Amino acid sequence: MALLQIAEPGQSPQPHQRRLAVGIDLGTTNSLVAAVRSGLSAPLADESGAVIVPSAVRYFADHVVVGEPAKAAASSDPLNTVLSVKRLMGRGLEDVKQLGEQLPYRFVAGESHMPFIDTVQGLKSPVEVSADILRVLRQRAEAALGGELVGAVITVPAYFDDAQRQATKDAARLAGLSVLRLLNEPTAAAVAYGLDQQAEGLVAIYDLGGGTFDISILRLTGGVFEVLATGGDSALGGDDFDHAIAGWTVEQAGISSDLDPTQQRLLLEAACAAKEALTKHAETQLSYGDWQASLSRAQFNALIEPMVARSLKACRRAVRDAQIELEDIKAVVMVGGSTRVPRVRAAVAELFGREPLTDIDPDQVVAIGAAIQADTLAGNQRGQGEELLLLDVIPLSLGLETMGGLMEKVIPRNTTIPVARAQEFTTYKDGQTAMLIHVLQGERELISDCRSLARFELRGIPPMVAGAAKIRVTFQVDADGLLSVSARELVSGVEASIQVKPSYGLTDGEIARMLKDSFQNAGEDKVARVLREQQVDAQRLLEAVEAALLADGERLLEADERLAIEAQMQQLRELMAGNDGLAIEQQTKRLTQVTDAFAARRLDATVKAALAGRSLNEIEE
Amino acid sequence: MGSPCHFALFDLQPDFRVDLDLLAARYRELARHVHPDRFADAAEREQRLALEQSAQLNEAYQVLRSAPQRARYLLTLRGAELPLEVTVQDGEFLLQQMHWREELEDLQDSADLAGVASFKRRLKAAQDELNESFAVCWDDPQQREQAERLMRRMQFLDKLSFEVRQLEERLDD
Repeated sequence: MALLQIAEPGQSPQPHQRRLAVGIDLGTTNSLVAAVRSGLSAPLADESGAVIVPSAVRYFADHVVVGEPAKAAASSDPLNTVLSVKRLMGRGLEDVKQLGEQLPYRFVAGESHMPFIDTVQGLKSPVEVSADILRVLRQRAEAALGGELVGAVITVPAYFDDAQRQATKDAARLAGLSVLRLLNEPTAAAVAYGLDQQAEGLVAIYDLGGGTFDISILRLTGGVFEVLATGGDSALGGDDFDHAIAGWTVEQAGISSDLDPTQQRLLLEAACAAKEALTKHAETQLSYGDWQASLSRAQFNALIEPMVARSLKACRRAVRDAQIELEDIKAVVMVGGSTRVPRVRAAVAELFGREPLTDIDPDQVVAIGAAIQADTLAGNQRGQGEELLLLDVIPLSLGLETMGGLMEKVIPRNTTIPVARAQEFTTYKDGQTAMLIHVLQGERELISDCRSLARFELRGIPPMVAGAAKIRVTFQVDADGLLSVSARELVSGVEASIQVKPSYGLTDGEIARMLKDSFQNAGEDKVARVLREQQVDAQRLLEAVEAALLADGERLLEADERLAIEAQMQQLRELMAGNDGLAIEQQTKRLTQVTDAFAARRLDATVKAALAGRSLNEIEE
Repeated sequence: MGSPCHFALFDLQPDFRVDLDLLAARYRELARHVHPDRFADAAEREQRLALEQSAQLNEAYQVLRSAPQRARYLLTLRGAELPLEVTVQDGEFLLQQMHWREELEDLQDSADLAGVASFKRRLKAAQDELNESFAVCWDDPQQREQAERLMRRMQFLDKLSFEVRQLEERLDD
């Protein structure tokens, strides 16, 4: 037995203490939360045994109802009951109008161009509505697991853009969840399948949910899940099948398409029921008001054919982007409730030339995979053989506006994240002292066809002749797929940077107000909560530094460096016993600073050791 | 922290001929150690460092696994800076380029899928041939100019294969 437990970076010194972390599938139609317990990942159920929470939120003047009872009220109280809010995440009012459907809400513009929904409880942004769903899932998890969560992995469609991802992260923050990682839904599904079946090789994940479609191509190699390409449509899903049936009904019944909110909901509910019936039966009765007709599966297939075709086109593109052939793919996995539609299964089987896998419940597979990743990220899998590693990509190219309204790509789509890339630009006028940096996302050449993510200005460039200034713009995308951009004039060193806050995101003011509201609603003592968070952060840092000193202190630190670190640690320990949150926070920062160089040396040493270890193995072979 | 040579990062000697499977295996192994997922519960500083190292690793991997980018990188290791866009004095290739492009346009007009497939095969063969030629001359200072010319040809064919993929997408309607 080893006398000393050598801790890996980031590992807590008590490896047997399990840290509670969950995976959350925040879906358009349904949401669920899963966790790994006794080595098995499974969704968590409520008291009645139900694992699925319909993504429906109903607002009353003084309280909120989430899930099945809210969904049931969709037609009786359409203005205060929000369904499919995911389709509104990270979108502007203009986008919402272009979603091509009537939504039964009263929309109001916010300070940030975000569509706010006017309810009996006041204006609600899509972020707040999502946070209400997440809060219910968090409470369910804490009740089931019996403790506070260290964090959650929340899944997003792979094809979500920066604004949609940021909105999801904001929602988690509002719900009091610490986000360990935003994980792409198809990648999560691949984890659930890959680990289950010990798969190796190329795998395609076809994920058709309520409102979004993703296709991802992955290479699985010994626990490493490498996404080669991803594609999709963040506005294509089972909801569109419902709308197609509803449109057909309006046409057949000869009724006006200008329906009031209650009628709209009733029509969509009838359409959805017909769609589900056609999965099992070749024909179904559809009734709306006094009107009744039968709809056959063949008719339904014809209605949805354009949408199915769109999804297949995205599949072919992803295969091309991955620079492989369709025949190279060893398995196709079906994810999302809409893959139950027989026509969808048949079309996918035909394209890939093999029967798709449906062994794991398509409604649960994403949450199950996310829970496995959450368990890994929380450090619970360490030391148990090869750890799982996910290497994901950005779904859409990122770039800048250049002269003539053109988009210049800085990072092309399907680049592995994290990534940092810089590009140099120059001034085009003599004496120009400022430059507008307009950040865009998309594949088209004209900026008007791309999504505008942010604009900021680099000011204070010293006057020079045109073309003399050297402005380096750096894009960095983190492991959540979130972008930050900085710009620097190299001759003078003038700098400007932003964490991209999408044009359609919430402003900081809006977030602050919502946080305040949510604390009041939840009856939580904000001060106590903040203090607890600071203590947890401080404790985590102390444990990490202790483990690091034990492992590498001798090797990588001079005696005086070590003494300085230990002095700061002692001071932090003393402060933690008290309740001065600010002092704890400041001392945590100080300890971080004083251990900065040590941390960098350790990471370098890790990389060297990885190579050395590899060489040894090769010699042995 | 300076950025080490891309080849050294993977414990490889700078060379154009690279065992891509070995490179991929080493990439995965290194990624296991520096990926931010390993530091999800660590302090913010460790997360930032992991982000930087991981981005650097991804960049190096991306450059080394692509033949034109690897070629370009080798030449910059051996000598002066290479501007991205230059007027290439390569008359013979210029003519060839025009042929490639005209053919691609014809394929678009005729929406000839079989023709596109055959074009891709020939393009691949031309790329393989260029890679071979580059591999034997890049390290010889006497043939530096030739190596640079070959590298630029590789870049062009790479761009062309991207355009073929775009064409395939347009034809896929």
